[in-house]
Amino acid sequence: MILNFLRATWLIWIKDLRVWLRQPLTMVVTIVPPLIFLMVQALGAEAVGRSPVALVNQDSGPQGAQIVQAIREANVFRLQEVDAAKAQALLKNLDVVAVVTIPAGFSQRLQARLGTTVDVTVNNLNLDFTNDIRRAVPDAITHYYLAQGDQSPVKISVNESDLRARDIEMFQYSVLPTLVLLLTVSGLISGGIATGREWESATVKELLLSPAPGGAIIAGKVLAGFTTSFGLGVVVLLVVYGMGWIYPEGIYWLNMLLIVGLVSLLGASLGVAIGAALRRIMPVIAVSINVALYLFFLSGGVGVLAFEPQWLQDIASFVPLTYGNHALSMALFYNSADLLGRDVLVLGLSSLAALVLGTLAVRRRSAG
Amino acid sequence: MMREIAYQLRVIWATARKDVRSALTDRLFTLLGLFVPANVLILMSLFVLAGSNAPTTMVMNDTGPYAQAFYQAMSQAHSFRLETATAEEAERRLAAGQAVAVVTIPPDFDSSLQQGRPVQVGVEINNLNTDFTNDIRRAIPLSITSFYAKVFPNLVSVTVNETDLYAHDTDYIPYLAVSILVIALMMGGMMQAGTTSAREWEQNTIKELLLSPASRTAIMLGKMLGAFLVGLGSTVIVLAVLILLVGVAPEYWLEVIGFTFLALLIFNTLGTLLGTLVRQRMPVIALTMGISLPLFFLSGAFGPISFSTPLLQAVAKIFPVYYQIVVLQHAFHGFSLNTLGLAGNTLVLAGFALALITLMALVLRRSTIGH
Repeated sequence: MILNFLRATWLIWIKDLRVWLRQPLTMVVTIVPPLIFLMVQALGAEAVGRSPVALVNQDSGPQGAQIVQAIREANVFRLQEVDAAKAQALLKNLDVVAVVTIPAGFSQRLQARLGTTVDVTVNNLNLDFTNDIRRAVPDAITHYYLAQGDQSPVKISVNESDLRARDIEMFQYSVLPTLVLLLTVSGLISGGIATGREWESATVKELLLSPAPGGAIIAGKVLAGFTTSFGLGVVVLLVVYGMGWIYPEGIYWLNMLLIVGLVSLLGASLGVAIGAALRRIMPVIAVSINVALYLFFLSGGVGVLAFEPQWLQDIASFVPLTYGNHALSMALFYNSADLLGRDVLVLGLSSLAALVLGTLAVRRRSAG
Repeated sequence: MMREIAYQLRVIWATARKDVRSALTDRLFTLLGLFVPANVLILMSLFVLAGSNAPTTMVMNDTGPYAQAFYQAMSQAHSFRLETATAEEAERRLAAGQAVAVVTIPPDFDSSLQQGRPVQVGVEINNLNTDFTNDIRRAIPLSITSFYAKVFPNLVSVTVNETDLYAHDTDYIPYLAVSILVIALMMGGMMQAGTTSAREWEQNTIKELLLSPASRTAIMLGKMLGAFLVGLGSTVIVLAVLILLVGVAPEYWLEVIGFTFLALLIFNTLGTLLGTLVRQRMPVIALTMGISLPLFFLSGAFGPISFSTPLLQAVAKIFPVYYQIVVLQHAFHGFSLNTLGLAGNTLVLAGFALALITLMALVLRRSTIGH
């Protein structure tokens, strides 16, 4: 009986895999957009956190030159050093976020121990860019004071230490949500459509009338969905690893592959369960898309869940994909297996629950 | 001539009615499809709730007045979500990825400042994501200058004099929600029109249409009209969510209505074109969902594309999503995000719509059905 089950599962697995392999277009359109997304992030990396700013120095004294030098060395802007008229034109044409002006008489006022200002005109249409400027200008002023050493009136300095040896750029961090989205969409939708199509085209009749158990049918379909999603996920991982964007070490490669496998399994199980329950492609598409959206975004989406409000984190604790995200981020960025057991258990049990639901749906359809 | 025009209009209307009726028979798909754009809007907005405030843990080894003032300066820097903890708890939160940084005020903070001695504030950063990391690295100096401006105003003689171009800041979510609206309309429009079109080919029902005496252009226009009518429902829903739930009130209502319809037209046409080219529903869906994130980040969702790198600026301008974001940001907030002006951007979008319709007509004309 077990042999029959395994044989039926194997045959359905191979059949669905062959059908999928005959659709190269589906493979391409599933894998190319995530890679494009990562490329886009990499292309824009230079602009992250460094807004374009025009710098105008109207002062002719040494302190003016010093603060200009401090602004350059702070490396917080993509600077263009221009005159006032050109700066206004750049601001008007949206080529710069802000104009920073060292006013005439800056050095004289400082030498006379009078207060003076650095004038900043900022295009505050977007709080994100505006706050970057509001942080970066004082940062540059602090550099100016630091350069004065013991003479500086500012006695507070920062002793920075970083958790990891090198910064993780935004495009590198984006590998995680990109991968999760790919696995979720691929598993849910391809698994769902592959199952729904069987009913819609009435080919399920042969399967249900065969001696193959309902569980074997579902298991075979889930394995096919899992194989395709896992394969695509591994391709993306290899590409980004080859480009040096991720660098998991030693055994954490295994952790990574395990979690990619489990997320693929979850997506495929859910997709097949939805397909078996709804039996028609169009409703399967609609439900799968919405489920994929909710699973992906409620587990953190493209952000960092730990930085979201507590109520959102509480909701996410009920979303199985949250645990996949956690385990993947541990393996990819922390070289850690923190709470791996918990994450594997949640993903495994969720996949099992989806498998059971799918099997029940098939049995109910057979009895109906 | 008039009879010919009347006939073509009848074909367009009949095709549109057929598609709308087909959509209504697939109630679950149509109903859930109506809510896809609204879901995208709500869910994508969730991930930006953290805004630019990085969760930061303060270890206050000194609780004197200067230390408290420094804490206040940090809390008013619009950059931190602060909480205090012991050193051990702070390290635990950092290691668990629950905090971006741990800022440690040394025990001699107040006494050092009173005596004019240098003092170091320890900052340990989880440099996982440079966006948050840079925010922290700059917000600490901002806090330092704010602290000195308040506590030792005579010592620090260089301060910032800021002038803003707009009377008030536009908060993060109201700005971003308008950009997300465009992506939501794109996903909903392409998904609805693309799957409906691809289904005709998958199920071979397109055969009857192509073999009929009706002109293919009229059929195409009818399908686009049908997708447009079905898409109106989801457009109304997503606008209602944006205006009533997210609370972003438009500055120019007519622009909102006009540009939203234009977006619907463009994305429905794109979806129909995709469905006709690909002829299978699965790749249509995979492509629609797959390109939504790249286009969101590529098309100036977070701010004017001119603030980005030259290469990204060039690539963004190839896609209609960029221009849609520009015009809708003007419609909702009155912002000008490029130098083309409203008329210029509208012309470009109209150009995209015309080009897509023409391309769609060409593709349909050349389509054949295999035996």
